[in-house]
Amino acid sequence: MSRVPLGTRARGSIGLAAVSLLVAVAAVLVLPRAGPAEVGGSGTGFGESGLEEPDELRLYYAGQRADGLPLTTVLRRDDTAGFASFVYGDCVASGDVGCAPPAEIQVWPACRRSLALHDGTDETRGPVPEWVRVRGIRGAFFEAGRRLELETDRSLVVVFAQSRQDVLRMAAELRAVDGSVDADAPLPPPKPHAAAEEGGAMAC
Amino acid sequence: MGRIVVVAALVAGVATALIVAASAPAHFDPADPYTHEECPGSPANRVDPINVVFTGWGTWGRAASQIESHLGWTATSGSAQSFVDHGRCYAMHAQRASGQASRFHVRVRGQHKDAELGWTAVGDAHHEDLVLFPVPCGHAVDSNGAGGSGFDQGRDEVERRFAAAGHATRRVWWGNTQSFKQCDGDYAASDGWTLFVELHQVNHS
Repeated sequence: MSRVPLGTRARGSIGLAAVSLLVAVAAVLVLPRAGPAEVGGSGTGFGESGLEEPDELRLYYAGQRADGLPLTTVLRRDDTAGFASFVYGDCVASGDVGCAPPAEIQVWPACRRSLALHDGTDETRGPVPEWVRVRGIRGAFFEAGRRLELETDRSLVVVFAQSRQDVLRMAAELRAVDGSVDADAPLPPPKPHAAAEEGGAMAC
Repeated sequence: MGRIVVVAALVAGVATALIVAASAPAHFDPADPYTHEECPGSPANRVDPINVVFTGWGTWGRAASQIESHLGWTATSGSAQSFVDHGRCYAMHAQRASGQASRFHVRVRGQHKDAELGWTAVGDAHHEDLVLFPVPCGHAVDSNGAGGSGFDQGRDEVERRFAAAGHATRRVWWGNTQSFKQCDGDYAASDGWTLFVELHQVNHS
């Protein structure tokens, strides 16, 4: 997993200059237009040229500070998984023991991750979704409310936090990095092809 | 008379035990898909994503034994962690690693028996580096690589070796992709796919 370069490694908070970098991240994370739907496949969901369709995948985060936590780290992963991650707050890892930051927002292309992946969990023995509507769109809680997944635009936004209330407060702060969706507005519904199709996810 | 009382008490005790056993939730529980630094488990002390489930004859002892046999992970060093099953937190049962320095590593905990899956045990397979520079800090799970994060690499290695040995394997989407900060400051996360491996009854020598 790579950090999005921020000039200097940011700890504690990310300055205003980083916002433009976040927008740059948004421009890079676009959906390729070819390739079969493949659950768990090797397609990355991220384009290489990036700038051809900069609004294909709109990134969401909770601003530079949310629920009392500063935005501390921005990650991008593009290998067996593909997502951008906004980490809020910090934690101390020591020895052999990693640690969980207080809150995190991951934005996945819908071709890599969708709520349809949870279809048939009774048979597969995966986690069972707790369906909800948040900010006007369909979503689901997992992990006893500590994880919320929201389908919006052509992405799946995943919110991790330490309680259901914390998760909902972070979700209330979600906004588009490019400024096109405010925190007090409903989140856009998923694009028609972002929902389940032929194997559970849209084609990358 | 005294003998009758004793026998009645024994019968009642056995009956009570059977009722308790029968009323326990007889299913595998994936609700808390992470290990914890200690009990009680909470979101604040999550450490690793769970990414391997042993089924069939998947007791923790068989899991440890067959990990040794099929993967050659025989080292037992590493920190203790805890697992949550049906809302209750328990210490791990075993851990196995491929060495002492940079290595593959998995912690294992036997979980609830499932009516369909049989005996189950869960694990947090991963590859980790021993970080010595710039500041020695211990083992850090790989943050990325061509094969994914260290968590994905560990799971893939378990899958590869068990499948090569003839064990049935499949992947189930769990979505437990939370990022975990490592002692070197990098982050590592699972790709959200959990491996199910069916174990057989007989261990290998």
